[in-house]
Amino acid sequence: MRYLLLSSCLFILIGCSPVYKNLQPATGDINYIQKFKSVFNGTLYKAEIDVVGHHLSGLLLIKPLPDSSIRMVFSNEMGFKFFDFEFKKNGDFNALYVIKQMDKKPVIKTLKKDFELILLPQKDTPKAYLLKDDHSLYYIFPKQKGSFCYITDLNGNEMKTMEIASPHKPIVHAIMKNYTNGVPDTIGITHTNFNFTISLKKIER
Amino acid sequence: MRKITLLLFILTSAIATKAQLAGYTPVSDLTKFKEQFAVIAKKTETIKSDFVQEKNLSMLSEKIVSKGKFWFKKDNLLRMEYTRPYQYLMILNKGNMYIKDGQKENKVSTKSNKLFQQINKITIDCVQGTVFNNPDFITKVYENKSTYLVELTPAGKALKEFFKNINVTIDKSDYEVTTIEMSETSGDNTIIRFTNREINTITPDAIFAIK
Repeated sequence: MRYLLLSSCLFILIGCSPVYKNLQPATGDINYIQKFKSVFNGTLYKAEIDVVGHHLSGLLLIKPLPDSSIRMVFSNEMGFKFFDFEFKKNGDFNALYVIKQMDKKPVIKTLKKDFELILLPQKDTPKAYLLKDDHSLYYIFPKQKGSFCYITDLNGNEMKTMEIASPHKPIVHAIMKNYTNGVPDTIGITHTNFNFTISLKKIER
Repeated sequence: MRKITLLLFILTSAIATKAQLAGYTPVSDLTKFKEQFAVIAKKTETIKSDFVQEKNLSMLSEKIVSKGKFWFKKDNLLRMEYTRPYQYLMILNKGNMYIKDGQKENKVSTKSNKLFQQINKITIDCVQGTVFNNPDFITKVYENKSTYLVELTPAGKALKEFFKNINVTIDKSDYEVTTIEMSETSGDNTIIRFTNREINTITPDAIFAIK
């Protein structure tokens, strides 16, 4: 038992990103975060993407398919498609279509990570752990570089914010709020290291 | 040998039939059609119309419907005002484009963006009747009992990335454009249907003004 406790502490110390180093280990069910997972069902958002001086606006459709994959299609008001992304249940990702002007590896990679953050990780994600401070619980999901972090109040009633953190600092902040039937009305994603924001507002169809 | 010839004939007929659009045959008198279309278009000074736009995402079995009002005035003045699913205004005034999206306003010179220019030219060309002179497309014309169908196939690489083809349906009775269908290579398409059309009504220039 002593060895188990020691190894758990070591795992947290090694796995813990320096960005969250001042937080305390916490106990609890890491899968509890799943309750904030959105139930997108052919949900349509008015979308605005601002990237280093370029403004794209249009409609973003988020739809789960029978194979449990999720598709995100972004097109402008006149119907011209910007991208069509597929997020597989096993974590695989496919950019099925990307307009030539956006078809750049860093752009696709950034959008992929941003949308993965708001889709939330799968249940029982290995190596995930919990931290806390006086006000919040931090659900940490380590990635190849950095981590995804979901911050709730101590009771786990409210999702305060979501973050993508580099090994040194949070680089993306995201919010999802005003849920109706499991679907957020407003989603916002902001990058702190360069001028890149995504704003989504749900549209009744 | 006769059987083989018959089989070949049936096969080639089937392929030929498939190559043209279902229910349509190539127009019998293309010169007459072009002349008539140009005459009507020349007389058309203004158009005011409602429109319904359907974006069909084939693989997702999804249809996104938008609605709004459309104004056109010679030459090169266009206003598309989307009222559903949200307010969005686009004005084309010669070489400039104005967009109002909620509280955000944006002015773009289409001259600086070749693709924008080409896409805008399609709409203007369709309503102005100059679509056959547009070098960006290879044009074919078909007909059925009540409509003409102009099939525009992109000639250049940039437009080919967006469209497989654009089909413009024209009513035989008045030579007015009733639908524009833009098909993508992925199988998705966008159809704009025009209804409640009013021709040559008083349309002040002010509604196309870019402030």
